[in-house]
Amino acid sequence: MVNTLLEEPRATIPRASGGDARERSSMKLVVCIIRPESLEAVKELLDKLQFVGGMTITEVRGFGRQKGQVEHYRGEAYTIRFIPKIKVEVAVQEAHIEQVMTTIGSAARTGRVGDGKVFVMDMRSAVRIRTGEKGASVL
Amino acid sequence: MKLITCIIRPDKLDAVTDALDKQHIVGMTVTDVRGFGRQKGQVEHYRGGEYTIRFIPKVKLDVVVQDQDAEMAIATIGKVARTGNIGDGKIFVIDVSNAMRIRTGEKGTSAL
Repeated sequence: MVNTLLEEPRATIPRASGGDARERSSMKLVVCIIRPESLEAVKELLDKLQFVGGMTITEVRGFGRQKGQVEHYRGEAYTIRFIPKIKVEVAVQEAHIEQVMTTIGSAARTGRVGDGKVFVMDMRSAVRIRTGEKGASVL
Repeated sequence: MKLITCIIRPDKLDAVTDALDKQHIVGMTVTDVRGFGRQKGQVEHYRGGEYTIRFIPKVKLDVVVQDQDAEMAIATIGKVARTGNIGDGKIFVIDVSNAMRIRTGEKGTSAL
C-alpha cells in the first residue's frame, strides 16, 4: 500500500465484509520525556520547524534504568525515585519524524543520565475542534 | 514496542513500581490525573447532604516495553493494582513505532 503523505483521509466507506473502514493517515504522535530545564531549548527548536503546528506539555515524574537518584542529607543517603520531568507531545506527519527526533535530541541532550526519551506512535485521526476539519490539515 | 498506559489508584503506585522492578521493567513516567469510569465518580456525604465528586484523583503510569514483555507487564500491574472495588482503573496498550534515548541517540528497542 502506497502512503501518499499529503493525501487527506478518505471518507469512511463501509466495506463489503462489514468491517470498520479505516482512514488512510500518516500522522504520528511524538511523545518525549525531557528535563524541565530543557523545555525552553526544545520549544525554541521545534518552533523553527514549519511543520510543527503546536505542542502540549505535561508535568510528570519518572525514572529510567538508574531508578532515580541518590541524594545526601545530613550525611545520610536517600533515593528520590520519581524525578520531575516534562512530557512534550507533538503531532506531525510521518515524513518529518526523523527530523523531529533529531531536533528534540540535540535540544534536550546534556550527555548525563536523565536526559529522557522520545517515543513515536501512530495517530489514527485528528480533528480541529474549532472548525471540525479532520486529517493532515489539522497538524 | 508497546506503551502500557494505566490509570490506577494513587495509593497503588509504590506497590506497582516495586512489582515492575522485580520483573526488571525499569523506566516509567507518572502523571497525576483525575478521572472516572462507568460509575461517573462517587457520592460523598457532608452534613447530611449528598454530593457527587465527579473527577477522582488517579495516577497515570506509562511504561514502554518490548512486545514480548507486554503480557507480563499487564498481568503484574493488574494483579498488584487490583482491590476488587470500583475505581481500580484500567490498562491500555498502544503500539510504539520508534523510540530514542536522548542521551546517546540510540534508537529502537535498545532505547528502552
